[in-house]
Amino acid sequence: MLGASLYIIVCSARNRLRVRLRRLREPRYLLGGIAGLAYIYFSVFARMRPSAGRQARRRAVGGSGGDAEVPVLALAGPAVVGVVLLGATALAWFAPVGSGLLDFSESEMQFLFPAPVSRRSLLIHRLMRSQVGIFFGSVVAGLLTSSASGLSQLRMSLAVWMLLTVSKVCFAVITLARARLASRGGGALLVAWLPVVVNLAAVAAVAAAVFRVFSGGQVTGVREAFGRMVAAATTGVAGVALWPFVVVARPLFAPWPGPFLRALGGAAMVLAALVAWMLYSDDACQDAAAAAAERRARGPARRAATYRVRATGWTLAATGRPEGVFVWKAAMQTLRLVDGRGVLRAAALLVALAVAAVSVGRPADVAAVIGVCMTGGALFTVLLAPQVLRMDMRQDLRHLEVLKTWPVKAPAVLRGELAWPGTLITAMVWAMIGVATLLSSAVFADVSGAVRLSVGAASAILAPALVFAQLVIHNGVALMFPAWVPLGTQRPRGLDAMGQRLILLGGTWVLMAVLMLPGAIAGGGVWFALRGFAGPAAFVPAALLCTAVVGLEVLVATELLGPAYERIDIMSVERSE
Amino acid sequence: MAISVEQFGRTYGTFTAVEGLSFEVASGEIVGLIGPNGAGKTTTLRALAGILRPTAGLVRIDGYDLVEHPLEAKRRLAFMPDEPHLFEYLTVEEHLRLVARLYTVDEFEPRARALLEELELNGKERALPGELSRGMKQKVVIACGLIRNATTLLFDEPLTGLDPLGIRRMRTTIAARAAAGAAILLSSHLLHLVEEVCSRVIIMDHGVKVADATVDELRSHADLHGAGTNLEQIFLKVTGRS
Repeated sequence: MLGASLYIIVCSARNRLRVRLRRLREPRYLLGGIAGLAYIYFSVFARMRPSAGRQARRRAVGGSGGDAEVPVLALAGPAVVGVVLLGATALAWFAPVGSGLLDFSESEMQFLFPAPVSRRSLLIHRLMRSQVGIFFGSVVAGLLTSSASGLSQLRMSLAVWMLLTVSKVCFAVITLARARLASRGGGALLVAWLPVVVNLAAVAAVAAAVFRVFSGGQVTGVREAFGRMVAAATTGVAGVALWPFVVVARPLFAPWPGPFLRALGGAAMVLAALVAWMLYSDDACQDAAAAAAERRARGPARRAATYRVRATGWTLAATGRPEGVFVWKAAMQTLRLVDGRGVLRAAALLVALAVAAVSVGRPADVAAVIGVCMTGGALFTVLLAPQVLRMDMRQDLRHLEVLKTWPVKAPAVLRGELAWPGTLITAMVWAMIGVATLLSSAVFADVSGAVRLSVGAASAILAPALVFAQLVIHNGVALMFPAWVPLGTQRPRGLDAMGQRLILLGGTWVLMAVLMLPGAIAGGGVWFALRGFAGPAAFVPAALLCTAVVGLEVLVATELLGPAYERIDIMSVERSE
Repeated sequence: MAISVEQFGRTYGTFTAVEGLSFEVASGEIVGLIGPNGAGKTTTLRALAGILRPTAGLVRIDGYDLVEHPLEAKRRLAFMPDEPHLFEYLTVEEHLRLVARLYTVDEFEPRARALLEELELNGKERALPGELSRGMKQKVVIACGLIRNATTLLFDEPLTGLDPLGIRRMRTTIAARAAAGAAILLSSHLLHLVEEVCSRVIIMDHGVKVADATVDELRSHADLHGAGTNLEQIFLKVTGRS
């Protein structure tokens, strides 16, 4: 099996590389590849030089202050990472996610499961296969280390590789052990639940120790906090409970060569123990893999199941403008998209912010915190939501085979596709601007009410212009260069795909500036003319004119993009899929 | 003629998928489009449905050029692809409602009820595509095509995924639509179905038409004499795969 496994890994990697290299013959991938390489060079390799310069400067100055914290970090790092790892393993027992190590692919299940191969061999095969991704991640982590020394980067790569591999195996062990929790019979049940109990006991011991050291008195600085964490993690029962986790994290912080190699050896021992445990649990492998396969097989249905049919009270009228069909269609999608976790996350974030504001001893500033968050949120939503929310042509290109048969004029299709996401994003932005304006007195106490109100109103008026301008650009790009645009939830991988995204992003910003310019000039002119007697209220008519101009441009753009929709070749869309 | 194709050609880069294809389909006629994999059948059907633009030639639906007057042509045709592309967030009934709005279908409710009954989709009106089997999805696509009074029906492997009863009903449905005056072009690898349902057969190979006749005419054709009596044997002979 080892030979077959190696054969699969080598052939897959080789063929993937060949495909990536072969597609560089196409200009879009070649350009993307060049842009991706340039990005990697400037963001990783070019950073090393200033880093070396910084080190030289630090040496010249004598390096006080910051340097003193390095040993503290080296000492406390393993403890902090160990605590995080312990918490993650405890969560893994209850979280409804499985280890990727047991996610056998369709082809693996079709070819390897019926083959005369033991379950242990299958697990070893999966472990070997996972090494390709882990190796790549480790190399990237090493390269990102701000150090000019190749040895230091190698050290970091090895440490990250060890940490990722141990984590992978550890979560596979937990997934396998979790499958046994429903065992029948007293003895079997006790054995099955023992790791959970031990893990939770360890969490309790560490939590108690951390609470004890931090409740002892006011923490005066980061250095002292680190020191207390080390004390909690290395003494008593907590020290014993955290030991394997600290050992795994130690190579990340150990200096080269002696301490690092010793730390790596210790982590390797933990890895060996975990691998042995995983292989011992192989009887649960088939069940866990079958469950993973079932999840995989349910993939599209599961995605569909995230939509829930509910009474919306909105039935599509029998007649009306064709744009209305697209609006209704996208609205149904939104209303049926049940993502309770997203809402919970947002709520948790708000609560955390409020708690943070209160815990720093200034509950009166909660309004200011929320106000700032809403202002930032509105900005982020205006600038990023049109790119992220792809409930438009970028999504419907997958349904082009259906759309193209509909007797609807191309500009109407495009307007219909833009209408709902644009309205939705605008509504979100308006809500945030509204809250931010209400709380603006807490944030901008020095600014007059008239200015705050005018800027708030002008921002709300400008928001749809910015949103629709971006949407029309994104959709225009999707129509004119369908092969460049990731469809729906697609995330193409590779250096060339990354480069393509960068080029698209840059292009979008340039087009956005071009599209906004006439409106900005017209609006600026109005503001300049009215500011003398209207004061800050002049922002409002200026924003109105700017929005009207951009709105007109958007309408003209939809008409101009009509022929692009008519010409769009389904083959170029299918090829990009 | 309901469907008129003149010297139709389609290329993908340097690859020619279809070249110099000409044929006509009259109202009430059921024509089978058959050929080996890669013969250009799906390309032809997609071009007839307005999904692909021809790189050469003319395609007319009820006299309307599909390139010059796409909306008029599309209003008259219904395309049922082999792969059901449904919107995963719309229910079965909403798919029908959406199509009815786009094609301005009168009396939606009784039509939809009858169709759901005919295609055994009763009780699935509020189901999302994710809750349907492959065959049922195919039926939804067919229902969307049949809910309007299209004068031209294009079927690409219409029986894929259907159960035996569904296949039998589908055959009846196709025949009934033709009897009601619709022009039907049907592509399928199920040659016995084509032989049974179609009044005429077009055989394509390597992007060109190699035969266009009734099965009886093909049988009596001098070159095919001795090929055999059924369409499968004739098909193998014509495409040089016997």
